[in-house]
Amino acid sequence: MESLPALFHLGPLGITATVVTTWGLMLVLALGAWLATRRLSLNRPGLAQTALEGAVQAVDAAIEAVLPGRGSLLLPFIGTLWLFIALANLIGLVPGLSAPTGDLSTTAALALLVFLSVHWFGIRAAGWRAYLRHYLAPSPLLLPFHLLGELSRTLALAVRLFGNIMSLEMAALLVLLVAGLLVPVPVLMLHVIEALVQAYIFGTLALIYIAGGMQSGSESRPDAAPGLASAQPGRRHPP
Amino acid sequence: MAIDWTTFTLEVVNFLVLVWLLKRFLYQPVLEVLGRRQAGVAHTLAEARRAEGEAAELRAQFERRLADWEAEKASLRAGLQAELETERGRQLQALSRTLGAERERQRAQEDHQAAELRRELEAQALLQARRFATRLLSRLAGPELEGRLIEVFIADLAHPPGDESAPEDSFAGLDVSALGAEGRARITSAFPVAEAQRQRLAAALTARLGRPLPLDWAEDGSLLAGLRLTLGPWQLDLSLADELDAFARSGNHGG
Repeated sequence: MESLPALFHLGPLGITATVVTTWGLMLVLALGAWLATRRLSLNRPGLAQTALEGAVQAVDAAIEAVLPGRGSLLLPFIGTLWLFIALANLIGLVPGLSAPTGDLSTTAALALLVFLSVHWFGIRAAGWRAYLRHYLAPSPLLLPFHLLGELSRTLALAVRLFGNIMSLEMAALLVLLVAGLLVPVPVLMLHVIEALVQAYIFGTLALIYIAGGMQSGSESRPDAAPGLASAQPGRRHPP
Repeated sequence: MAIDWTTFTLEVVNFLVLVWLLKRFLYQPVLEVLGRRQAGVAHTLAEARRAEGEAAELRAQFERRLADWEAEKASLRAGLQAELETERGRQLQALSRTLGAERERQRAQEDHQAAELRRELEAQALLQARRFATRLLSRLAGPELEGRLIEVFIADLAHPPGDESAPEDSFAGLDVSALGAEGRARITSAFPVAEAQRQRLAAALTARLGRPLPLDWAEDGSLLAGLRLTLGPWQLDLSLADELDAFARSGNHGG
């Protein structure tokens, strides 16, 4: 397999179209966020502000449903995952642009960040000892399986998003080549739905992994919070 | 497709930067506004609860005051009712007294009217009787009846003053001296008086008055029968007309 060619170089770094598109998305998101939030009204929110607040509250509520009391902690990371992946998936619909999530480098980077986030938030919630102890539970013999699970789910996270988006673009291209202009609208609708579903799946899995890490560390502690333990069924791998 | 490690590294950095940017420009402002709004709502709710509590307190206070007012009103109403009852009793007593006095006055007025009516009826009866007697006696009157009346007059003059056997002392208040030396007596009769009877009448009159008086004789048919003696302002009648008048007057004065 070959990687994308570099469009230009910044010193020793070869800048690919994926990075350029990501920078564009970052610029759009940051500028849009700044424009949307620079004049927030406390008492008389407009339609756009109401929609923005509703979206942020919906993300926060989704996190709170999984991890009560941790919404404000995880909102930036999980919310940005959903937002960035959704836009990155949808940007492939623009002629001449390719989805950054159709590049394995991007999905691997996101999967690595989720992997690191699981441990980061787990250690923050339970501490080093308690968090590392859960790898030995219920038996130290299961430690290799725990490590294998960590690697496999991270790999699955990266490959799932990459494979879906790349195959979606490829399938759409093949359908368009075969059927011409007869089926562009259904294919575009399928692309939109698939892009949003994949973003939701990636963000939700990340949230569940992080919640599992925080909960497993708390469960191994004698003074584990019952609310956190009862809110999560346990550390599970997604199907 | 292979992983391009430069792209991989840049994407890691890009995402972390994006997380920071969105946290700085999206999540924090929105969450801050939401938090402030929630705090404002909580503050408003607290104010509303406080106002509700104050309203409840004011309501309770008002109800207590209202109850006090009701009690005071009931007390004042009872006092006023008692005063009204007292005043009503007093007014009823005054009205009863007034009605009693009015009834007495009405009864007195009715009695007076009844007495007046009775007197009027008596006067009418007497008047009728007088007319009837006048008509009857006018037919019976004549010189003979007049002669007998003159004889009765002479007999009355024959009774000395203070004699209780006399039917009526008609000369009791007569003061002959008041007539003076030139005083005259006038005798009016319905029919001409015989000369012999005139002399006996003059003699009886002189004996009674104590001195002789010159007599003037006259006739007046309205007397029906009998005579009238006039001595200056003093006058004495013994005639049917005079008796009938006395009879009629007795009804007016006797009643």
